[in-house]
Amino acid sequence: MIEKLDITLIVNGRERHARVEPRRLLADVLRHELGLKGTHIGCEHGVCGACTVLLDGRSARSCLHFAVAVDGAEITTVEGLGGGDELTPIQQAFHRNHALQCGYCTPGMLVTVQEFLAREPDPDDAAIRRALSNNICRCTGYANIVAAVREAARALREAGT
Amino acid sequence: MNEFVGRALLRREDAHLLRGEARFIDDVPEPDGTLHLGFVLSPHAHARILEVDTAAAAALPGIQAVLTGADIAAHVQPIVAEVEIEGYRRHGRDVVARDLVRFVGEAVAVVVAEDPYVAQDAIELVEVSYEPLAASIDMEATTAADAPRVHEAVPGNLVFEGRFATEGFDEAFAAAPHVLKERFKSGRVGGVPLEPRGCLAVPEPGGALTFYTSTQIPHMLRTAVAKYIGCPESRLRVVVPEVGGGFGTKAQIYPEEFVTAALARHFRRPVKWIQDRREELITDIHSRDHIYEVEVAFDGEGLVQALRSRVRTNAGAYSTLPFGCTLETTGGARMIVGPYRITNYAYVAQAVVTHTGPVGAYRGVAQPSCYMAIEGMMDRIARHLDIDPAEVRLRNMVPTAELPWTNVVGVRYDTGSYQESLRAAMEAIDYEGFRAGQPADRLVDGKYRGIGICSFTEVSGTGAPGWRARGLVRLPGFDTGLVRVEPSGEVTAFVSHAHAGQGHYTTFAQVVADALGVDFADVTIIEGDTAAVPYGTGTFASRSAVTGGGALIRAATKVRDKMRRIAAHILEAAVEDVVFEAGRAHVAGVEGHGVDMRRIAETAYAMNELTLPEGEDFGLEETDFYDPPLVTMANASHIARVAVDAEDGRVEIEAYAVVHDCGRLINPMIVDGQIHGGVAQGIGEALMEEFVYDDEGQIQNATLLDYLLPTAEDIPDITLGHIESPTIDAVGGFKGVGEGGVIGAVPAVLNAVGDALSGLGIEIATKPLRPSLLAGEIRKVRDGSAS
Ligand code: FES
Ligand code: FES
Repeated sequence: MIEKLDITLIVNGRERHARVEPRRLLADVLRHELGLKGTHIGCEHGVCGACTVLLDGRSARSCLHFAVAVDGAEITTVEGLGGGDELTPIQQAFHRNHALQCGYCTPGMLVTVQEFLAREPDPDDAAIRRALSNNICRCTGYANIVAAVREAARALREAGT
Repeated sequence: MNEFVGRALLRREDAHLLRGEARFIDDVPEPDGTLHLGFVLSPHAHARILEVDTAAAAALPGIQAVLTGADIAAHVQPIVAEVEIEGYRRHGRDVVARDLVRFVGEAVAVVVAEDPYVAQDAIELVEVSYEPLAASIDMEATTAADAPRVHEAVPGNLVFEGRFATEGFDEAFAAAPHVLKERFKSGRVGGVPLEPRGCLAVPEPGGALTFYTSTQIPHMLRTAVAKYIGCPESRLRVVVPEVGGGFGTKAQIYPEEFVTAALARHFRRPVKWIQDRREELITDIHSRDHIYEVEVAFDGEGLVQALRSRVRTNAGAYSTLPFGCTLETTGGARMIVGPYRITNYAYVAQAVVTHTGPVGAYRGVAQPSCYMAIEGMMDRIARHLDIDPAEVRLRNMVPTAELPWTNVVGVRYDTGSYQESLRAAMEAIDYEGFRAGQPADRLVDGKYRGIGICSFTEVSGTGAPGWRARGLVRLPGFDTGLVRVEPSGEVTAFVSHAHAGQGHYTTFAQVVADALGVDFADVTIIEGDTAAVPYGTGTFASRSAVTGGGALIRAATKVRDKMRRIAAHILEAAVEDVVFEAGRAHVAGVEGHGVDMRRIAETAYAMNELTLPEGEDFGLEETDFYDPPLVTMANASHIARVAVDAEDGRVEIEAYAVVHDCGRLINPMIVDGQIHGGVAQGIGEALMEEFVYDDEGQIQNATLLDYLLPTAEDIPDITLGHIESPTIDAVGGFKGVGEGGVIGAVPAVLNAVGDALSGLGIEIATKPLRPSLLAGEIRKVRDGSAS
């Protein structure tokens, strides 16, 4: 039997504890130990972006990190993006622009966009497409995701002023 | 009444997906004691299994069992695709190989573990000895006399051959003044949904089984699983969780599904299997590995006089369930005539088996490839005669005034807009303006710039006669709707479909609301659970709007008729005089004399002081079935404008226009989304996607790093227009739209590149057009002309 280690993660603002094998991926710990199934797995080799979370404020692929290696880190998953019953401005923009079909890529997209718009509040389309280019969506053809990000940026700017 | 159909209503399914609350297959709660499966896959394309040593794996703590093909055979019968068409040779498949492996990735053993990580460990410990055998990988060489045989039952590796010729074909062909010939090679791709597959089988009290699986076809899957694992169909419930993209990849019934269900019954414990990406890429169905040799005979005006095709499709190692391995072959041969008035046609269509992965029905089936061929020929005719390619198409198309029209293989085109859609797409992308400014060498600002068209018909909503015509004798065509008005007056509607992102909860509710004359908000849609929903065919081949929409309209109409009889009884009026408006029934012309839906419903459920009309049954629910005609034919034109970099061969799509006609639109926003997504897949297929096998049958690119999917930077903005020519052959006026995007994009992009490079004399007859390929071709021409 492989020895398990105790780790602590601050997930969506709450301190969480888990006892895990050193080889256990962060994505699996979030999903299966902590029950946060919103983080999806599409490739487990760092390409698709479905597993994207914020790790100490920066977007990261939870399939490429061992949970024990990020012991003590602060993590935000899709479940932690929203403000309770209301959808966030980014989520609302995705809804209004039909920026999701099957929705499997959506949590990773939302996390990516959240970080991107915090950094670049007024991006042009080329910058939006570049920012999305590490997240694969097989359903939408991206056009509506780009439109959603454009709209969300505007909404966030207006809310900020 | 038409209040909700046609409106871009926002989707009901979004909120829980956006919050991360949706439950996909790997999110379905695992009951305590769930066992996890892992499959040991063959590293050889063709080999004899000499021994499977399970001892080391079985000794691992946390391992419940390690099972070989022979062990599994005790629980699952060999599967056989039920294709009955002249020229087809049946062959079976052990769901876990026993004696021979026939492709890299075929399962040879199964590990059953307490934990998925332990299952992975155990896979490494299973020792399989093989005697490697020579393999047939190349789809042309596989029918050579000395090629290694894939199946005893398939001599010469030719698993299907069909022939067709119209009367007087040879004379018509010989009489034409011009003939052009080309060989088109279409690369092998897959649906590659972002969510891999998986399933969870949970034994229930009394020997029943609940089977969660990521499928597009819950009912057909249930029938097949019950049959091959020997479980009474009535004790098997198939439940479809959220599905993270299907595209036909999940409209198949796979070996792992039989094994998972069978082992849950055997161990009397929940059993789960989740696929990883490598397994997805090497074992899920592939498609489009085709060759088209086409000869077209035409007159001086560019009118096609006769068309001859030899279609060969790679059927992989095994025929799959439920479509067999001939769907692409018959599809490619039969659909190639598209929107054109081609009356003299002959084909030879062959499917060949090879030691490569199985093939199946990826979005578009054969259409992207066969239109690559015919649309490529339209451009060649144009270049040969120096007529504009758009003009050649317009001349050959069946004009709207001549519809309905039956094509050369007997498929009826009831309504459509072939010329209109092309003209509208030309307008949308300023085709004439671009052509006017285009130099003969196509070189503008250092890049080769071209424009390419694909005009096509899109087979949708296939009914039973359509499947029979293609040899699928046990594939139903109908779907089913059950519409129930609850005592509260709200509506629950059940439909035999299963979505994977298409927005059924929204669109079907729009259809039902209008058919019943109630508010959209009052209609709830339920699908994807065989215990709740009546039997039907499922969601693939652009069928849900046609078959599901049709079935729901028919069922709702019956319910409405009953409500009208009850209302007439309450109002003491004649049934014909009762009209429905805004959730209320009243006597025509006397709005004050009416009764609301809720009171009608309470009456039907005997919950008030009123009585039902003499002879009327309690309740307010009706079921109806809808089997559409042969097919329902949608159409579209796509036009792409591209720039090809002369140095590195990269293709950039600078503009893209689509004008689509899928009849009556249910929800334009969702239709547009289907087209956007399809176009993106088509661009991927045209420019980057391909499974590459080496001579030994190893897939060279079984990761998403190497099998390239298009990203947001690869896909242009798309200008979209609609024409609505409602079908007159199917209930509701709807035609399918799910596949049109990918169908049109592949040929349009290839033709645009062909146009861009036409000044160099480079003909495009292959896909994908990787930069290295194009750069090499351009260099060859330039070096040649320099010397
Ligand atoms: S699952 Fe992590 S990048 Fe694909
Ligand atoms: S919506 Fe399906 S992968 Fe993006």
